[in-house]
Amino acid sequence: MIEPKPIVPPRWPLRLLRLFVKERYLEEIEGDMEEIFYDNVEQLSARRARRIYTWEMLKLWRPILVRNLEVLEKINQYAMLKNYFKVSLRGLMKNPLNSFINVFGLSAAIGICVFAYAFAAWTFGTDQFHEHKSEVYLITFFANRDGVPQQFGRSPRPLGEMIKEDFAQVRNMCRVEDRNVVMKYKDYVFHERVRYVDPAFLEMFTFPLKWGTTNSLKDVSSIVLSEDMATKYFGAANPVGLDILMIFGTGAHGESLSKSFKVTGVAKEFPQARTISFDFLINYDNLRTTDPNYDFHDWNAFVNATFVQLNEPNDLKIIEQSMEKYRKVQNEAVQKDWALSSFAFEPLATLHKRSEFIRDDISRSSSSNYASIVYMCIIAVLIMALACFNYINIAIATAAKRLKEIGLRKTIGATRGLVIFQFLAENVVVTFFALIVGVTLGMTFFIPGFEQMWHFNMGFKLTDPNLWIYLPIILVMTSVASGIYPSLYISRFQVVGILKGSIKFGQRNSMTKIFLCAQLALACVFITMSVMFTQNNSYMAKRSWGYDHAQTMYAQIPDKDGYEELYALMLRNKDIVSISGSSHHLGKTNGTVVLHFPEREVEVDQMMVDAHYFETMGLKIEQGRLFKNHDNADKHAVIINELMAKNMAWANAVDQHFQIDSVQYEVIGVVKDFHSYSFSKPIKPTIFTVADKNDYRFLTLKVREGSEVETFKAMQANWAKLFPEIPFEGGFQEDVWAGYFEANRIYKIVWSVFTFIAVSLAVLGLYGLITLNVAGRIREFSIRKVMGAGIKSIAANIINQYLVLFVLALIVGAPLGFVLTKMLFETSFPYHMPVGFSSSILAVVILILILLSTVFAQIRKVQKMNPVDGLKVE
Amino acid sequence: MKITKLGEFEELVLLAVAALHKDAYGVEIKRELEKRLKERLSVGSIQSALKRMEEKGFLTSEFGEATQRRGGKRKRIYTTTSHGHKVLADMKEIRAGLWSAIPKLAYELRSVR
Repeated sequence: MIEPKPIVPPRWPLRLLRLFVKERYLEEIEGDMEEIFYDNVEQLSARRARRIYTWEMLKLWRPILVRNLEVLEKINQYAMLKNYFKVSLRGLMKNPLNSFINVFGLSAAIGICVFAYAFAAWTFGTDQFHEHKSEVYLITFFANRDGVPQQFGRSPRPLGEMIKEDFAQVRNMCRVEDRNVVMKYKDYVFHERVRYVDPAFLEMFTFPLKWGTTNSLKDVSSIVLSEDMATKYFGAANPVGLDILMIFGTGAHGESLSKSFKVTGVAKEFPQARTISFDFLINYDNLRTTDPNYDFHDWNAFVNATFVQLNEPNDLKIIEQSMEKYRKVQNEAVQKDWALSSFAFEPLATLHKRSEFIRDDISRSSSSNYASIVYMCIIAVLIMALACFNYINIAIATAAKRLKEIGLRKTIGATRGLVIFQFLAENVVVTFFALIVGVTLGMTFFIPGFEQMWHFNMGFKLTDPNLWIYLPIILVMTSVASGIYPSLYISRFQVVGILKGSIKFGQRNSMTKIFLCAQLALACVFITMSVMFTQNNSYMAKRSWGYDHAQTMYAQIPDKDGYEELYALMLRNKDIVSISGSSHHLGKTNGTVVLHFPEREVEVDQMMVDAHYFETMGLKIEQGRLFKNHDNADKHAVIINELMAKNMAWANAVDQHFQIDSVQYEVIGVVKDFHSYSFSKPIKPTIFTVADKNDYRFLTLKVREGSEVETFKAMQANWAKLFPEIPFEGGFQEDVWAGYFEANRIYKIVWSVFTFIAVSLAVLGLYGLITLNVAGRIREFSIRKVMGAGIKSIAANIINQYLVLFVLALIVGAPLGFVLTKMLFETSFPYHMPVGFSSSILAVVILILILLSTVFAQIRKVQKMNPVDGLKVE
Repeated sequence: MKITKLGEFEELVLLAVAALHKDAYGVEIKRELEKRLKERLSVGSIQSALKRMEEKGFLTSEFGEATQRRGGKRKRIYTTTSHGHKVLADMKEIRAGLWSAIPKLAYELRSVR
């Protein structure tokens, strides 16, 4: 027979009790608790008795019963710590200037640290909110381009379905294809980008829905909207059940092709840190209606992305091993130059980080963000160093005033360790204040300022749990970094020496000089960078794009008929200098194509244009001729850019030939290099070919000077007449890169802010030191003045002390700034102004002016001082 | 008389100790007070009141017997000191005096209204 298990009180509350309750009360209370427990077991259920027991235990946490409080009051460290705290607060109050310099510097540095943390958290957190992030994979493939293996984010169209059928381990599969369409609901008509996806999309990417159901995408005529889009078309009300019209093309007779969708879901506002999201989701099968030519089984064609979700991440190995058969199928179907070497699976969890290296990937790459984190950390550390130097210097300079205190402490028994501990504890107090100010500064100034400039929201909150691990680490690290040297230095002195007054220190500390020198050198580096950024921005604004964007404008058009109608209307406008049609457009789109030479293959950018395009855009011909202006002329002719000729090492490019898709092409001309991307990307080898009229997507105009706005308005009016259903999309060529220049302007502001902080820290440090120095020598100066010394002699006296230091700082700082800026420019800008000495010289002059004005503020003070007051001290 | 630092709850606990005489240990005091006050009390509140009064000298205590039910742990029996007893008596007297000082008529009038 089995004995029923005896009912006993839970163990852990008892252990807790033993931990915190005073030992002499333990036996009694334990006994009482146990007795009450068994009483309760008899009257109530065992479960309730246990609950009451635990709860009562927690309620025993009372001051009189808890043991540690008693210990705290009894040990003498308590009084000591209280005293340290009091002394540091008094110290802070007594020297408001020094306290301000310390707290301001440290808090600026901590503010930047908080900002850097928020930015890093945002970047590393991108796309991490999907529940299945470690089971969802993007199918990518490797292929050789120009002999370099590259990873592509696209995948062959039939692959997804085949993998889903062939492997039981694949739980879900989702293809993603993006198309531009026009959306219409009542009077709201806009150009939009819709995502054609398999119904599993919302299961694999766990975007929570605000309204509607996740599995509704199985229906081909249902549509899921993002919250933004729902608001844009339907306002704040729940749109589920309403119909929205999608116009996806123009029919053979000019009528618009459209399909009506029923809204079945609206996503909740997306997390800020995301790259994969959507405006509109519709079932992938809709491609059959909207794009009759879309062949689902064509291995030769690609879908934007294919994702699979596995039952177990470990199953990946099995699937990876079997990918070879698909590779064979694929490579048989395509031409030789598109042959791929292998498939690879990229987990969603790391996709954002890796997408920089994956071409044509639907998740945006953000290598610049990851680089920015590194830059920000460097800057945060530098500013932190500046602030710590200030702290150290001031602590050492003011130590003279505290010598007696330290002597006394040592006499009554403080060991060196305790003095060090005292100074570090004081430092923790100062840093703690700085931490509060710094976090406030970060949350109210750095982060919102940054978000406002870039028009985005990092969604950062103070409740981030990791922040509360990070902040104490900063507190301790900063306190130790700034406090360790002064405390070691100050605690070193012997009591006898101190009390006898035979120790003189503070003003002649060589470390102080080194720190000050480092600060000024750093300030010099920051000023140099800031100056160069500013200069570079104005240089870039003036830089030629390689074509003439003045008086040029463009419009995007749906098709050939649209082009011809708009062309006919625009041709009547007397202000037009030149008009042309093209499939691609500078700064907007271009294609890529592989050129076959007998001995190698080269991938280049391709732009399909008409004969007038060069004239309209102001592209300059260097060699050969342009396309002839009549139908069917120059079908197999190409015009290349200089870079391509240079890359191919053609002395005379004209008449060179190569094959594209087994068709022979011949070079007829070379144009000067031009930028089809922003200046932040290098120029690529490019070819121009004649565009088929059916492929025209852009209409480009060059107009008479002074008539730009008028003509643009006329074009918009003509458009509205021709296509009342489709919103106009187009603009001035000058505005194409407005975003790029805006970004550069923001970089400049950011650097200026950092420079301002760095320079003000260095100057404040210098100011504090000179103030202390002058205050210490006030009697000397008074006597000098009484004896007849002029302002010149006193100024020379003060400056002499710092002159060597200044010169040394400039000698180190100026070249360092020059080299670092040059390095930064060369790594992050493919095109930048020539980095010259002029900016360095300008930076040095600015710094010298700042330094002199700081010193002269003190000299003036001495000059205005009445020597009698100086001598009357004590 | 100097005002003794005896709180309302403390006074009740002290009275309970005096009333229970030899049986006055934590659980019994708790039971007695719960019965009379008709509400549940926590061990913590009773214990802290006892310990506070012991520090102030109203109570003394010593270990008593151990029982099976207490897991072999001894009880702590509390007894009032003569000082504690005196304070209780004083309090009662002060209260009684104040009660008798309330004008009967005034009280009755107020309750009528």
